[in-house]
Amino acid sequence: MSSAFTEIGRALPRKEDRRLVTGRGRYLDDLAVPGALHVSFVRSPHAHARILGIDSAEASEMPGVVGIFTGRDLDQLTTRLRIAPPIEGLQPTELTTLPIEKVRFHGDPVACVVATDRYLAEDAAECVTVEYDQLPAVTSIAQALAPDAVLVDETLSSNMVSHQSLCVGDPAARRAEAHRVIEARFALHRHTHVPLETRGCLADWDDGRAHLNMHIGNQVPHPLRSQLAKRLGLSESQVTVISPDVGGAFGQKIALYREELTVAALSRHLRRPLRWREDRMENLMAAAHAREYECRTRTSVSETGRILGLELELDEDFGSYCFFPANYMARVIALIMTGPYRIQDYAYEVRVALTNKCGAGPMRAPMAVTSWVMEGTIDAIARELGLDPIEVRRINALGPEDLPYKMPTGELLEDVTPRETLETAVAAIDVAAFRERQAQALCEGRYLGLGLCTVIESTTYGSEFYKSAGIPGSGHEAAWVRIEPSGAVNASVGLMGTGQGYESPLAQAVAEGLGVRSEDVTVHMGNTDVAPYGMGSRGGRGATAGGGTLYLCGLKARERVLVIAASMLDLNGAGELRMRAGQIERMIDDNWQETGLTLADVARRAYLDPLALPEGIAPGLDFSHSYDPPAMTYSNSTHACEVEVDPRTGAISIDRYLVAEDCGTVLNPIVVRGQQQGAIAMGLSGALLEQVVYDGSGQNLSATLADYLVASPNELPEFEILHHHTPNRRTPAGIKGMAEGGVMGAIGVIANAVSDALAPRGVTIERLPLTPQSIRALLREAAPSPKKRTQP
Amino acid sequence: MKPAPFLYHRPANLADALSLLRAHGSAAKPLAGGQSLGPMLNMRLARPGHLVDLNDLIELDSVRVTDSFVEIGALTRHHRLAIASEVRRSLPLLSAAAATIGHYAIRQRGTIGGSLAHADPAAQLPLIAVTLGASLVIAGPEGTREVAASDFLQSIMTVDLRDGELITALRFPLPVGGLWAFEYFSRRHGDFALVSVALSFARDEEGKIDALRIGLGGVETVPLRLPEIEARMQGRPADETTIRDLAAAVAATIAPEDSEQVPAVYRRELAETLVVRAFQSALNREEGA
Repeated sequence: MSSAFTEIGRALPRKEDRRLVTGRGRYLDDLAVPGALHVSFVRSPHAHARILGIDSAEASEMPGVVGIFTGRDLDQLTTRLRIAPPIEGLQPTELTTLPIEKVRFHGDPVACVVATDRYLAEDAAECVTVEYDQLPAVTSIAQALAPDAVLVDETLSSNMVSHQSLCVGDPAARRAEAHRVIEARFALHRHTHVPLETRGCLADWDDGRAHLNMHIGNQVPHPLRSQLAKRLGLSESQVTVISPDVGGAFGQKIALYREELTVAALSRHLRRPLRWREDRMENLMAAAHAREYECRTRTSVSETGRILGLELELDEDFGSYCFFPANYMARVIALIMTGPYRIQDYAYEVRVALTNKCGAGPMRAPMAVTSWVMEGTIDAIARELGLDPIEVRRINALGPEDLPYKMPTGELLEDVTPRETLETAVAAIDVAAFRERQAQALCEGRYLGLGLCTVIESTTYGSEFYKSAGIPGSGHEAAWVRIEPSGAVNASVGLMGTGQGYESPLAQAVAEGLGVRSEDVTVHMGNTDVAPYGMGSRGGRGATAGGGTLYLCGLKARERVLVIAASMLDLNGAGELRMRAGQIERMIDDNWQETGLTLADVARRAYLDPLALPEGIAPGLDFSHSYDPPAMTYSNSTHACEVEVDPRTGAISIDRYLVAEDCGTVLNPIVVRGQQQGAIAMGLSGALLEQVVYDGSGQNLSATLADYLVASPNELPEFEILHHHTPNRRTPAGIKGMAEGGVMGAIGVIANAVSDALAPRGVTIERLPLTPQSIRALLREAAPSPKKRTQP
Repeated sequence: MKPAPFLYHRPANLADALSLLRAHGSAAKPLAGGQSLGPMLNMRLARPGHLVDLNDLIELDSVRVTDSFVEIGALTRHHRLAIASEVRRSLPLLSAAAATIGHYAIRQRGTIGGSLAHADPAAQLPLIAVTLGASLVIAGPEGTREVAASDFLQSIMTVDLRDGELITALRFPLPVGGLWAFEYFSRRHGDFALVSVALSFARDEEGKIDALRIGLGGVETVPLRLPEIEARMQGRPADETTIRDLAAAVAATIAPEDSEQVPAVYRRELAETLVVRAFQSALNREEGA
C-alpha cells in the first residue's frame, strides 16, 4: 500500500527548520507591541492557607504601577470554571480565576501586578502584603484519603474527587482457580513538562472593535478561543487566538490557565495591551504537574505464566485544582492496561485525590505509567514462578491470529503487532549472549541488567472516545485546502505545532491527496481567523486526525482539479487523468503521459475565466473538509535496554537501547524519528532524573533547574530504532498516531532493566525515579552481595 | 526573575574598582563571571545596591609560575585553568578539576576569584585551593593581605572578605606531589558534585606514600582537608590495604550534611568509594606515564 505513495513517506527536511535554526523564528517575546504593560503575579508562600487580607496600598504607589488586582476583582471580570461532566463518581468542581478565600498550593497566584515593565512589576509584587492563616497541608494520597483529612476543596464531600471501578469477566473466580496470585506495586513520581519556552501570553484588547487578540503559544487555539470567550463573556467572533512559534508544550499548553485569563481580562479592563512571560520558577512550581501515581496489580496466573485474570488499583495525586475532569488521565491508563496481552478477566479501581500541590494535567503520554505497570507485572510473574520473562511475554502476547482483539474494557485492537515487535527486539538484543555477559560480570561484582517493555500506545482519540468517556468534546478535525489563482497551494488545519515539526508531514499529506510536490504546499496553523475550527494538538492525534483530514481534503481538491482539467482537454470525464507534481497526466495505452496542462493552468481557468468552466462547476478552488477518526488508533512497540548498575554509587549507565516500533504509515521518517528519540529521551529523563519534590509542609523544593534535573544528551544513550509498518485499515492512508509510546516504553524498560540487574541482590524496583541515592538505599536494605566483595 | 534595582559600575582598573568598593561598602558587590551572581540577582537572593563589574580588569587575568608558587589572577577563567599549558604542567590537579566545572560556556565566563568568593561547598576550585594549601591575595582599604584558603572559607557562601576588599589572586605553593587525582560524582554532566575528592601525593624511593594531601568537597559546609589522616598515611606502601584503610578513615571522619534528598549515609558511602577510585586513578596514571 505504502509503495503507491509519492509524497507520504518522503524524508523531507522540516520546513520550519530554516527559520528556527537560523534564529528567525518568531516566538511570543519576538512580538513587539508598543505600549504593552507587563504583569507579575504575587504567589502564595504556603501550601494551604486562608487569605485574611491583601494590602496593596504601598505597592500601588510604586513607580510604573498601573494597578494591582486580586481574586475579588477578577471575579467581577470573568466567569468561574466549572467542571462537571456527567461522569459517575466524579465530583463537580468550580474555581475562581484567582483564589478569593484560600490558597491551595505553594505558588498559587493571589494577586496580579500590572506595571509599565516587568522589573517594576516584580518590585511592586514584593511589596504586596498578604495576610494568611495557615491550614494543615495535604501532601500525599494517603493523607488526602484519610477519613479525617482536611479538605483541599471545601465544596467537595472528600478529597477523593473521582472514583471509578469496573469488573469484566470474573477475576475473583480466576484468583480462586489460579496456580498463583502475584502482587506487584508501582509508584511513579510527580513530573512536570519543562518546555524550553515557559507559558506566556500577550493580550491585546482592541477597544474600538471590541475585540481581543490573544497571542499565546498553545496546542489547541480553537478550544482555547471558546474558553476565553466564555470566561470573558464575549462571543467567539470577538476573540482571535494567534499562536506564534512555540518552544515546546508537551501537554502543558492545552488548558486556559488562570494567569492567562487574568491577563486577557485585565487587557480588556484597562484597554491596554498586556503581556506576561512566566519565569522558570513559576513554570516549575505553578504551571502544571503530572504523573503522580500509586498502582497495585494482582495477577492470577497458571503454572506456565499464562495470565488468567488481572486486578488493578490505581491512585492518582491530582494536586489542588482541576483544569481537566479528574479522571481524565487515569481513566485511559485503566482502559488500556491489558495492552498487548490476552486478558479477558479484568477489574480496576481508580481513585483520584486532591492534595495541596500544583494541579495535574496531561503530559506527553498521560498514560505513561501503563506500560511499566503491565510489563513490571509480567516480570513479577516470571520472577515469582522462575520463568523466563520473554517466555511469559510470548505466551500472553497477542498474535496475528488474535486480531482484531477486543480488550476487556471494550477497546478494539487491530492492525497492531506486539508479538512481532517483541521478537524483533529480542532478536536484535541477542538475549543469550547478554545473559552470558551478565553472568560473567556478576562474578566480577558488576551488575548488568536487561529490560523489555512492550507498549500499546493509544493515539488519536476520535469523538467516539469522548462520547464513551462522558467528556464533552470532539475528536474530529477540520482542514481547508485552497489553490490560489497562480496554482500556489495553501492549506490549514486546526492543529498547532509546538516543536513537533508539523509543517513538512502535513504538507506531504495535502500533496499526496492533491497531486503536487510537498515543497509547493504551505500549511497555515495557529490563527483562529485563518484555521478552521479543529480540536488542536493532543493525544497523538496530529498525524491521523490532522494529516488524515488534510489528505482527504487534498483528494477532494484533486477531484475538482481533474474535472476542470478534463474539460480543458476536451475529455468527457476525468477518469483517465491524474495529477503528479502539479502536472496533469493522462493514461494512454497503459502509460501515464504528460498532457502539458498544469495545476496553474487549471487554477487560472477556475479563477480568471470562470465562464469557461464546465456547467455546474463554481468558480475558484477552495475546499474544506472535516473528518472524525476512529475512537482510537493504536500503535505498538517493544523497547529493550541493557544497563549496568554501579553497586557502590548507585549510578545507572545505559549500555544499549533499542526499540522496535510499528506506527503504521509514516508521513515523514525524519519527523517520526525525531519523535521516537524525543519521547524515549523524555521517558528516561523522567525515570532517572526528574522529580517534583514537596516537603511534608507542602513546600515545593524543586523550583529551579538546579533542583529539577532534566537529562541532557550527555545522560542519554544512542537509540537504535527498528521499523515495522502496519497501516491502520480504518484511517486515511493507513496513518496511526505516535510520539507518546516512547515515553511509555522508556519508563517501563529502564525500571525492568534495573530490577533485572539487581535481582541477584533481591532488589525489585517498585518506585521511581531511579536516583543513585534510591538505588543505594535499596541495596543497603537488601541482602549482602552473594559474591565476594570486590574493589570498586 | 528580574533583579531588584542596583547601580552598575564598570571600573577600568584595580585602583578604581577598590575605591568603588570602599565607597559603597557592604552595598557593593563585585561582578566577575556572573555564573552564580547572575542567577542570584535574578532570584533576588542577592540585592546589592551597587554592582562593580570587574571584567575590564585584565591585569587580574594572569598566570605566573615561579620556583616556589603559581600565582593565578582572580579574573582568570576556568577554561584557561583547564587548558593553559603552564597550569597543566605546574598544577595538573587544578587543571583537571577546572575542566569538570559546568559546561563549556560556563567555563568561558566563570573565574577562580569568583568561585572562591562565592564559596559553594561543592565547587571544584575552593576544594583544590584547600587541598593544595593555596592562599588568597586580597586587596583592600588597609592594603594587601594574604590568607590561607582553609581560613578564608568559613561556611556555605560565607568567607573572610571584609567590606571594600577584593580577591586579586590565588597563590598555590610549589612543589606538589607528582601523583594526583580528582574524582567526583554528580547526577548529570556539569552539575555540582554530590561528593568530590582531590588527592595529591608523591612516592619515595621505596614507593611509599609521601606528602599526601586529601580534600573532600560536598560533604560539609566547606571543602575539607584531612591532615590527621594524611599524616597517618605517611610512609605507608601504596597498596590495596592502604587504600582501603584510607577510604575507611575518611568515611569515619567526615560528618556529611543530611537531607531527605541526599542522606548523610549516602554521601559517606560516596566519599569512601571516590577516595578508593581517586587513589587508583592516581596510581594508574603513574603506570600509564
